[in-house]
Amino acid sequence: MKKLVALALTLALVLMSVGALADLVICQNKVEITTQMEAYAKLYEEKTGVPVKVITGGGSSDYNTVLKAEMQSGREPDIWVIEGPSSYELWKDKIADQAGADWVQYTAAAYMDGDKVVGFPVAVEGYGMAYNKNILDKAGIDPATLTNYDAYAAAFEKLDSMKDELGLDMVVSMVAGTVPGMTWVTGLHNFNVYLTVGNERNDTTYIDQVLAGKVDPERFHQYCQYVALLFKYSDPDMLINGTQDSQLAAFANGKAAFYHQGNWMDPSLVALNPDFEIAYAPHAFLHEDTDGILVNPPSWYVVNENGNKDEAIAYLNYLATSEDGANYMVNEAAMVPAFTNVTLAPATPLSKSVMEWNAAGKTYDWQQYKLPDGFGMGTLGPIYELLASGAIDVDAFEAMMIEAIAGIAK
Amino acid sequence: MSSKQKRKLTEFLFLLPTLIAFVMVIIIPFIYGIYYSFTDWQGTGAATKNVGFDNYAVIFQDAGFLHSFLITLLFTVLNVITVNVVAFVISLLVTSEIRGRNVYRAGFFVPNLIGGIVLGLVWQFIFSNILPSIGQSLGWSALSKSLLTNKDTVMGTMVTVNTWQYAGYIMLIYVASIQGISKSVLEAAEVDGARYWTRITKIQIPLMANAFTISLFLTLTNSFKMYDVNVALTNGGPVGMFMGKPVQASELLALNIYQTAFKYNNMAQGQAKAVIFFVVLTIFSIIQVSYNKSKEVEA
Repeated sequence: MKKLVALALTLALVLMSVGALADLVICQNKVEITTQMEAYAKLYEEKTGVPVKVITGGGSSDYNTVLKAEMQSGREPDIWVIEGPSSYELWKDKIADQAGADWVQYTAAAYMDGDKVVGFPVAVEGYGMAYNKNILDKAGIDPATLTNYDAYAAAFEKLDSMKDELGLDMVVSMVAGTVPGMTWVTGLHNFNVYLTVGNERNDTTYIDQVLAGKVDPERFHQYCQYVALLFKYSDPDMLINGTQDSQLAAFANGKAAFYHQGNWMDPSLVALNPDFEIAYAPHAFLHEDTDGILVNPPSWYVVNENGNKDEAIAYLNYLATSEDGANYMVNEAAMVPAFTNVTLAPATPLSKSVMEWNAAGKTYDWQQYKLPDGFGMGTLGPIYELLASGAIDVDAFEAMMIEAIAGIAK
Repeated sequence: MSSKQKRKLTEFLFLLPTLIAFVMVIIIPFIYGIYYSFTDWQGTGAATKNVGFDNYAVIFQDAGFLHSFLITLLFTVLNVITVNVVAFVISLLVTSEIRGRNVYRAGFFVPNLIGGIVLGLVWQFIFSNILPSIGQSLGWSALSKSLLTNKDTVMGTMVTVNTWQYAGYIMLIYVASIQGISKSVLEAAEVDGARYWTRITKIQIPLMANAFTISLFLTLTNSFKMYDVNVALTNGGPVGMFMGKPVQASELLALNIYQTAFKYNNMAQGQAKAVIFFVVLTIFSIIQVSYNKSKEVEA
């Protein structure tokens, strides 16, 4: 009898320790909200008793690398982030269908695979050319006119000539360096400008061409000229050495009139207390007018079919439908939620601007994540750096980009 | 069972735990790795098919890989020379009669206790922030730009950092070896009128040959497999040109393999590169060790 009791106790102990291990593990890719997300995870644990562990990869480290390492580690995350079709295809055997979950009814931006609801939209994100309104006012530039290449070229030239009186170090705060790991800004986000600006949201003409190894010569030529324009009016040292932090600091301290980043930088931007009005202007790279910024759910939370599935879905439901969740998304993480039931409006400048462009229906799609893995950052990114460092001119840049894209089809 | 057989069995049983661990974590993954290099494995458990030597054929047309191969050889040569020269010189220093030599011994060894990633980030800050601001305030044009983002100087920074980290460790091997040389041999040489330089080159260095064998082997393999400092210090950048293609100017082989597998999500091709890496490193190591062994003498 004694033996049996001892055995039962041991078993109970073992089961309890397994239970304690079986918390939720989330692997996510937004370094800039790590603190906020961990605080929310703690709050969630207080409210529900479910311990949540957040693993973050991103920024200068590569999220996909971190995720793959976690997957191989034997303790697969219960929730992780997919960034679009290529990461969905990679993991689709492990991803659970969340159809019927509470949150699904409140959004139109879920990631769908046929009838299956597989991805919870993390947020809506947008990027364009963020501008410092005070500086543009002083220079007599109306941001509403920045809707084509020629308007930008004229505005940059004017600002450049007034650098001293405006206190500017550079016109555009832009980064392209491989050493600080910033090639996602150029090889993915900037390249997407070529892919979608001016098109209907579901139009995949240019990405389809690129995946077949081709570009539209005239449009691509104009795009390359635009890249060269951005680089010309940026700071050469910032382009190669700049990190996400130094790029932001130049803009937030009023040393740059434009800033090539998205609204995910809001928490860091607000922390630097910029004392001027900020909004987005379009990436209008064509000679014709295009009026819209690039907006999309950049990523979706997916749930592990083999993991702690019910707890994971409960976590996502709470995020989308509770006040705590809304407060975290809007006020803490400064994201623009993709859910209609959330009525809080963001107080931070970049997110506010994204919400306004989104409400006006002036948005273009994100299709950079349809590129093959590593292609944008690893293959195109270095070519941007060559142009930024002055090692090649814009014609060589165009030729090398076209050659690299032709390599996809092989 | 005879007592001899019993002994053999006991020895084998004592060996078994280590042997099992070694087979599980080294031998089996290694065999799997070779197998995967002939497939289109994606690393996610999805079905694979056999592709023969396709992965290997692609590698030899990959400008990035060939470039990584060449700069890894360059880095290895430079690094083996600088680490061993520096380590040998400081080991002579700390075994001489100099005051405070124990402090020096500890001081030179300390960098080796810092992890490669931390070290890489610290030196990245030095190279991209501190040195340029010193250069700018002194008006030295050579220092005023970051040495990390210049493709001509980036290899120099890697060798510098690695030497700083690794020379102290190799120094310990040389120190142990110098202390192992019998005093009588050196005294006899001194009495016979050998000068300091002659004593080093004719007595100490030949008697230290086994220390050179091990030190050269360690630095050779360490340089060849360099990864942590590479990723934290330069991330493979900046960008240079090779065979008309843009390539990462400081991306050594280990990092190139890692990027192929994880960034481009091309696990099988990364595995094929790793197999080549293994073969080349083995050949170089065997040549080096057998050459050095032939130079070893007994006093």
